[in-house]
Amino acid sequence: MSYADTAQSSLDRAIQRVPERYRVYLPIIPVMTLVGLFILYPIAQAIYSSFFEKNLLRPGDAEFVGLANYQEIVSNPDIHEVIVNTIIWVVVGSGAAILIGFVVGWMLYEKIPYVSVASAIVLIPWVLPRVVGASIWQFMFSGSQGIINELLLQLGFINEYVVMLGSTELSLYPPIVGMIWRLAPLFALLTLTSLQGVPDKLYEAARMDGATPYEQFRYITLPMLKYPLAIGFLLMLIYNIRNFSMVWVMTNGGPGVSSSTLPVMIYRTAFVDFQVGLASALSMLLFVVLLIFSYYYIKVYNRIRGDT
Amino acid sequence: MATDTSETPAEFRRNESWLFDSRVGNLLRQGGLVITGLLIGIFLLFPLYWMIVTALKTTAEIQQIPPTVFPVDPSITGFVTVIESSLQTAGIDTFFENLLGVEISSAIDINVLGNIYNSLFVAVGAGIIAVLFGSVAAYILSQRDFWGKNGIMAVLLASLMFPGTAIMVPEWELFSTLGLYNSKLGIILLYGAMTAPFVVWLMKGFFDDFPTSIIDAAKIDQCTPFETFRYVLVPMARNSLIASFIFAFLLAWNELVFALTLLNQENFTVPPGLLTFVQGFNTQWNVVAAASIIISIPVLIGLAYIQRYFVQGLTGGAVKG
Repeated sequence: MSYADTAQSSLDRAIQRVPERYRVYLPIIPVMTLVGLFILYPIAQAIYSSFFEKNLLRPGDAEFVGLANYQEIVSNPDIHEVIVNTIIWVVVGSGAAILIGFVVGWMLYEKIPYVSVASAIVLIPWVLPRVVGASIWQFMFSGSQGIINELLLQLGFINEYVVMLGSTELSLYPPIVGMIWRLAPLFALLTLTSLQGVPDKLYEAARMDGATPYEQFRYITLPMLKYPLAIGFLLMLIYNIRNFSMVWVMTNGGPGVSSSTLPVMIYRTAFVDFQVGLASALSMLLFVVLLIFSYYYIKVYNRIRGDT
Repeated sequence: MATDTSETPAEFRRNESWLFDSRVGNLLRQGGLVITGLLIGIFLLFPLYWMIVTALKTTAEIQQIPPTVFPVDPSITGFVTVIESSLQTAGIDTFFENLLGVEISSAIDINVLGNIYNSLFVAVGAGIIAVLFGSVAAYILSQRDFWGKNGIMAVLLASLMFPGTAIMVPEWELFSTLGLYNSKLGIILLYGAMTAPFVVWLMKGFFDDFPTSIIDAAKIDQCTPFETFRYVLVPMARNSLIASFIFAFLLAWNELVFALTLLNQENFTVPPGLLTFVQGFNTQWNVVAAASIIISIPVLIGLAYIQRYFVQGLTGGAVKG
């Protein structure tokens, strides 16, 4: 790389003083500093804290307890319930969001006019501030004036209003419904974009060879959509497992821990019970799961970039 | 054209199934499609309708059981309450009372306009930091090969995946140590750090596809790499840069966990501001809905602009729109 020898400003001269080999790293330093300080360092700190018994209000007297916090995770029945809740969230929430999202995306592509306007409207649930979406659903699920109770009553499913958000058995599900509402549009848009990206000539060729529309879908559309949909699938898992606001706004994770997922439990352990060590150990659990998802995300990502 | 048979010329093969061959099957299929579409459409759009309708109801109508699907007596009390109580909380109500000649009194303690101001400040700051730092790094990561490049990209992507909830305790400790607790600067830097990796991925996708001939031409014209970046790439990447900015802005606008734990009431951004009101005693839902609509407006404007870039952004450029 040849530098023009008219470099005059002090910044330029400072840059010149850096050896050529390392100069390439200069533009990356600001980003890495920010990310390092505000994201990577806290991650390291969380790993460290997970081996200590520590109270949030008295950060001074931390006591090294080895793996005791992890043993607590294994033995505490509340945490077991939270883990089961999280699994239900991820399976039900992602499954439904993907199903609904795919149908909507396909319909937008195939059946609905004014695609760009329609998809912008469909996308609103996803872009609304999360707290806004969650409070709408909280109001709709409300036990005293909720429209959903009224709907279920009219349809004959229930005989009187049910306080779903305050019930130990039911409180897990309203936030999942809200989350499906928020995530399905995202998957729909992903599907739509991927469908638009399939070249028309593939279908033309297939029709010439006598493929039925179903066969075209099965042998052209789906294979072409494999990686984009894999990305969408991973995004759904990731967003579901790290969701905090939908649960926190609607139920605070309660009653008890009946509607808590892992992120909500971490918040409660740290900022309600002040047990920093246990919260950090729970964070590690979340980290590991997300690391696995991220690994596959990067893999699929590179596959897509490699293809084009 | 996946399963749409209506436009297919007769000589092409059609699906071989009773669902497509018989009259009954066709009706069943079409009907099923319409019903599914309607149900999903209601599921996705009804909450939005409900928010608007709720905002237009009076406080008395909100408490009716069963709830009214169409507002009987549309009113803008909710919006008025939001604005009045904001002015009151901010302590500038007397000024407006004198100015407009109306009396401002509100029993509710919600400062939505103040929260919006905080949010705007924080979101614009975070957006600028993310775009400045992110795009420069993306340029180098895209154009040059050097040791550790893939590692850096992986770290940046992984940092995007990690949930705020998992690091909020150490983040809280870090903010206390640095004296950034309850400061807008701190939260701006944090949001910048959270969105810059995203900008890197988005802009790297753009720079990767950028024709090398233009960069070569700039080189031949004796441009330094910085000049190439500043005078050739930035103008051509304008739209992507604006989209990146809006993404960063929206993230900061929507973020709840850190705003809740790292700020105090007077510096609250929109999400924790609304949350404390929703979870307060005796929630007036028409006011909540009105506040919700007000704070959603910037997001909807942003959406209109970046819709084209949405998928690209969400998937870090992996899926192109």
